[in-house]
Amino acid sequence: MDKHIEQWQQQLVKCIRCGTCRSVCPVFQITDNENTTARGKVKLIEAVADGKLELTREMQKRLEKCLLCKACAVGCPSGVKTDELFMSARRALAENNGISFIKKIAYTGLTYRVLFNLALRMGAAFQFLVLRDAPDKKGKLARIPLPAAGLNNRRLLPALAKKPLASLIPRVSKPANPRARVAFFPGCMMNYVYTAAGKAVVDILLANNVEVVIPDNLYCCGIMVAASGDYGTAQYLAACNVRALSAEPYDAIITGCASCGSTLKHEYGLIIEDPSVRQNWEKISGKIFDFTQYLTSTGYSKDFAEIRARVTYHDPCHLVRGMNVSKEPRTILKSIPGLELAEMKDADKCCGCGGTFSLAYYDISRSINEDKIDNVEKTGAEVLLTGCSGCSMHLSDGLSRRGSKVTVMHTAEFIACAYAAKKREGP
Amino acid sequence: MDKEIIAQLKKIVGSDYVMDKLEDRICYSFDATFKDSCPDVVVKPGNLEEIIKVMQLANRHGISVTPRGAATGNSGGAVPLRGGISLGLTRLNKIIKIDIENKLAIVEPGVITDDFSNAVNSTGVLFYPPDPASSKISTIGGNVAECAGGPRGIKYGVTRDYVLGLEVVLPDGKVVEIGNQVDGDMSGPDWTMLFVGSEGTLGIVTKIFLKLAEKPEAKQTLLAVFSSLDDAATAVTTVIKSGTIPTTLEIMDNLTIRAVDDYLKAGLPVEAEAILLIEVDGSKVEVEKQSGQVIKVCGQCGAADIQIAVTSEDIDRLWKARRAISPACGQINPTKFAEDATVPRSKVPDMIRKAKEIANKYHIKMLLFGHAGDGNLHPTILTNKHDHEEMRRVELAVEDLFKVALELGGTLSGEHGIGYMKAPFLKWELGEAGFAAGQKVKAAFDPRNIVNSGKMFAA
Repeated sequence: MDKHIEQWQQQLVKCIRCGTCRSVCPVFQITDNENTTARGKVKLIEAVADGKLELTREMQKRLEKCLLCKACAVGCPSGVKTDELFMSARRALAENNGISFIKKIAYTGLTYRVLFNLALRMGAAFQFLVLRDAPDKKGKLARIPLPAAGLNNRRLLPALAKKPLASLIPRVSKPANPRARVAFFPGCMMNYVYTAAGKAVVDILLANNVEVVIPDNLYCCGIMVAASGDYGTAQYLAACNVRALSAEPYDAIITGCASCGSTLKHEYGLIIEDPSVRQNWEKISGKIFDFTQYLTSTGYSKDFAEIRARVTYHDPCHLVRGMNVSKEPRTILKSIPGLELAEMKDADKCCGCGGTFSLAYYDISRSINEDKIDNVEKTGAEVLLTGCSGCSMHLSDGLSRRGSKVTVMHTAEFIACAYAAKKREGP
Repeated sequence: MDKEIIAQLKKIVGSDYVMDKLEDRICYSFDATFKDSCPDVVVKPGNLEEIIKVMQLANRHGISVTPRGAATGNSGGAVPLRGGISLGLTRLNKIIKIDIENKLAIVEPGVITDDFSNAVNSTGVLFYPPDPASSKISTIGGNVAECAGGPRGIKYGVTRDYVLGLEVVLPDGKVVEIGNQVDGDMSGPDWTMLFVGSEGTLGIVTKIFLKLAEKPEAKQTLLAVFSSLDDAATAVTTVIKSGTIPTTLEIMDNLTIRAVDDYLKAGLPVEAEAILLIEVDGSKVEVEKQSGQVIKVCGQCGAADIQIAVTSEDIDRLWKARRAISPACGQINPTKFAEDATVPRSKVPDMIRKAKEIANKYHIKMLLFGHAGDGNLHPTILTNKHDHEEMRRVELAVEDLFKVALELGGTLSGEHGIGYMKAPFLKWELGEAGFAAGQKVKAAFDPRNIVNSGKMFAA
């Protein structure tokens, strides 16, 4: 505990309570309650450090009512690293109070890779028991409301893929004369749900003459677990992933999911404590890139077919603030002939998903999302592109609820289509 | 607090809007100053009727009530010093009317300043001049309570100059409407002026009638670089003497320039002793004449360089440096004393010299920047609240600053208010008789001393 407090003090002392966080926090903008602002939570943590407050369950609830979207951290005039501070406080609270039973079981499952794989494959086969097709076939709706699991029966959830990505594409995909050899970390969502997006990342890399390896023994990146404060499990997952990604030398490690990417590249720096794991992570962390970042920094083929369409792009929190990636996807999209990129208002504002936040606080999550979708629709775009599976899921849900004609696609899927169409056209 | 009172409060405003858990009370225990004090309960009424009932209940039982907007204040106005009720007013957030023809607006106190400014701007012909640095966050109600100012104050005045009238719930729950929507005048004394800047010590403002200004046709932004701080200060007074009243006349001293440049890497003249950021507005002809005048005067006063921003990018670049001061300070030292002791314009050069002497005397880091044209220099002391020895020196320096400002014929506060921070020094400015008169005014409105007690005229 003293170790936590010592760490917290460095951030606590910087907060001048100016309230700028009130103007940037998506949750506060809905709740209008100081107990959701960054300065409010900083004050709670300070009260613990000063011995005026225990690590109570009530405090835990307030710390969990946060999207971890990093808007307060980036917007803080005094540079308080609120994102790191809140993660660390969640850890101390979880150590003190534990985490919910359902979460505990789910997270334990993540550490048994084979079992997890099997469970999700079984899940794909049996999901019809609790989920039904949405009328527009774009996803699944709950048959009965399951509030404990955050399944409101009007909420659209993506269907689990029939087959995971790893069994759809070979371990190694090699073009004739590769210019580089990279590892691809698909993450859970691309592996089990959005397999088409995962495949698109591989196809794009191949179209750019890059050899792609999906290493064996990859696990969940662990962000959901760490965000809940279960650092023990998160550290185990991090150690496994670092081992798997260090087993062979790669020119780069590519991610296609914003959350996995920022977790591997940055959050592991806060999660990993074991010195030897840390040493190995430091060797690879500099090589971790979102696929758009990799393409724009190493150069990419512009053999795109002309696509006459109007699209808009939503910046996932973990890309724009997590990995500092916002220009890269736009640069690539703008190089597709005929494509019109119509910027929406507040493109970099959180979509309201926040991982497990949307399960626990679906109503707030939904309200934040409604504003986002208003902005999307105002652009007149037919397609909404984004680079995060969580965002895709939440945005699809929002669009479906209002019967919108806008389709959500992963940036990679769209770019892969433009390459594929050109290939079909021939030179 | 008595469970029975909490139950009654829940009945009045609904249980969603009453919070008495320690975790929530802590979140409402502070503002942008550094003292905390937990309320016993946080109450967030949604309309006038609920506020009346809450005040009646509080008055009957003698419970302290501290009104609260966005709690961005710099003098402690929203800190519930005596516990009791923290009365959150942000649910009253409607812009009731913007009347272009009569150039006025009616708003509720919880409207965010920028939301209101933007709404007025969107009329295309009018604007709302007060522009406190916290306008993205602060509420109009808070601006009225503290009489907030801003860079545009030199030409356009402060919040007081735009309040035509108010609807106020008095501490006993009775409602009065003071001033009026036509010209703000009232039969009898100017009560509105009494309430603006009263920091919630006289009652709860529930509706505000505001005057709006016509948008100027054109504006121009200039930056003058000086190798002597004295010369810059002389330029400030000479510009105004020459007959040109700029929209803004902001000064940054060398420490501030360096801090901002370290932070922004904006290529500011770090060798300069001071820079002035000057904006003029009006018709195109007026703007040309005024900026010519400013350039001439700055040149005569020894400006080493004068830059004129023409494009909106250039203007943004100049303003970016001014707006970056606060974050730049945060990077240097964690604790910031943002003072706003203000002197008559003509005394700006003296004030600058004295402030520097005080900084040297107590070996503290003091930045000078701010609304020089208003005589409001925002001497800002950077320190660390955990360094008790230095904090002691800072406190002494602040006292000296107040003394010097008053000696020069100035005031303790140009725009931040008195709150608890400056209450101990208020007598210095008002004298015994003035202070006693203030206490009588307070007692006349609030005989049980329940609204925001412990602030301003608190002995």
